[in-house]
Amino acid sequence: MRSSLVLLLLAATGALAHHSAPVFYKVQERITVSGTVTEFRFANPHAILKFDVVGDDGEVQHWTAETTSPSILRRRGWSQQSFTPGEKVTLEGMPSVDGSYLMRITRAFREDGTEIGLPPGTDN
Amino acid sequence: MAAASRHGALRGAVLAATALAVVSLAAPAAAQAPEGHGIAGFWSMARGAMPPRRDPTPTEAELMALLPDDAVVLADSGLNEFPPGDYGGLAVHEHLREAAKDYDPAEQTTVSTTCRPPGLIYSMQGPFPIEIFEGRDLIVIKLEYFDLVRVIFMNETEHPDDWPHSQTGHSIGRWDGDTLVVDTVKLAPGTLFNNGVEHSGDVRLLERFRLADPDTLVVTQQFEDPGSFTGIAARVMTFERGDDHVYPYDCDPAYGLSMDSRQGPDTR
Repeated sequence: MRSSLVLLLLAATGALAHHSAPVFYKVQERITVSGTVTEFRFANPHAILKFDVVGDDGEVQHWTAETTSPSILRRRGWSQQSFTPGEKVTLEGMPSVDGSYLMRITRAFREDGTEIGLPPGTDN
Repeated sequence: MAAASRHGALRGAVLAATALAVVSLAAPAAAQAPEGHGIAGFWSMARGAMPPRRDPTPTEAELMALLPDDAVVLADSGLNEFPPGDYGGLAVHEHLREAAKDYDPAEQTTVSTTCRPPGLIYSMQGPFPIEIFEGRDLIVIKLEYFDLVRVIFMNETEHPDDWPHSQTGHSIGRWDGDTLVVDTVKLAPGTLFNNGVEHSGDVRLLERFRLADPDTLVVTQQFEDPGSFTGIAARVMTFERGDDHVYPYDCDPAYGLSMDSRQGPDTR
């Protein structure tokens, strides 16, 4: 799957918290990335999704996508079964500060456009 | 309190906590409907700003009136935090301010640190829910955040000298009319602000819990730590009742590995 990067500047401010988002992410920007799930670890303090993206040069990029606490996500309809290795997803979120293949998910969608749970939020 | 009777009280507390846990497992969440003083149940931090970022509600104002006149009410309750170098008007000692300049928040996400709970005072005003169990001789407060469990001894009036320092310290409580007053000491050094300043093991925390109505709980903190800052700090927070239980947190330090193993062209 080809990567699709869309950069948006948002007026929203990111809340600081323990394991603060602003440490690793540009909290006022958004990107959209599509790829294939390789692993989903639904554990505190923050759930982690690993996925592969084929870059414009044909090389596979190994991405890490962070969400918020599973304790919060469960109440927003997420679970360990929210992602299955091999499935294709599109993720919206904050880009990394350091340019690495790292993002903080703000919304997640299946290949058919169905949104996965409620937006996870970024407040913890 | 003599050691023997304190240990007896502790055994009683453990038994009571176990009994409370059994009751909570056997009954649906709704069965936690207010008994005793009505504070038992599942509480989530109310959304939106807290005082002093907005005008206080009548109950918040009542509890704020009980704070010392010179208390600095911090504007970081809920989802707000102070940026580096900002201590909300609190006179943090110079040596801590200097040390905070070298603080790197990325250190919170290493394998060895990511599951280290923030200090209790900070954790109580975080975004995670709490669950209160009210017994005769003790009150238990479970924080979803990092699985912290507080035991408040309602049958003790003094803090034991030999109690070890810990994340939750030693708490004694009493009812002052409709207000639960909790005094806590023996807190291990921990988060004062999430920007590199910690309180010492000498910090003393006084909290007041009062229902504004059966589904709204107002809590104030006031705390002193002469080794860390001058004067008295305070916070105001309001919780809303929910029909739920706190979940296990079960922090997994592998999160730190995931962050460290991220890839990309400009990584570190």
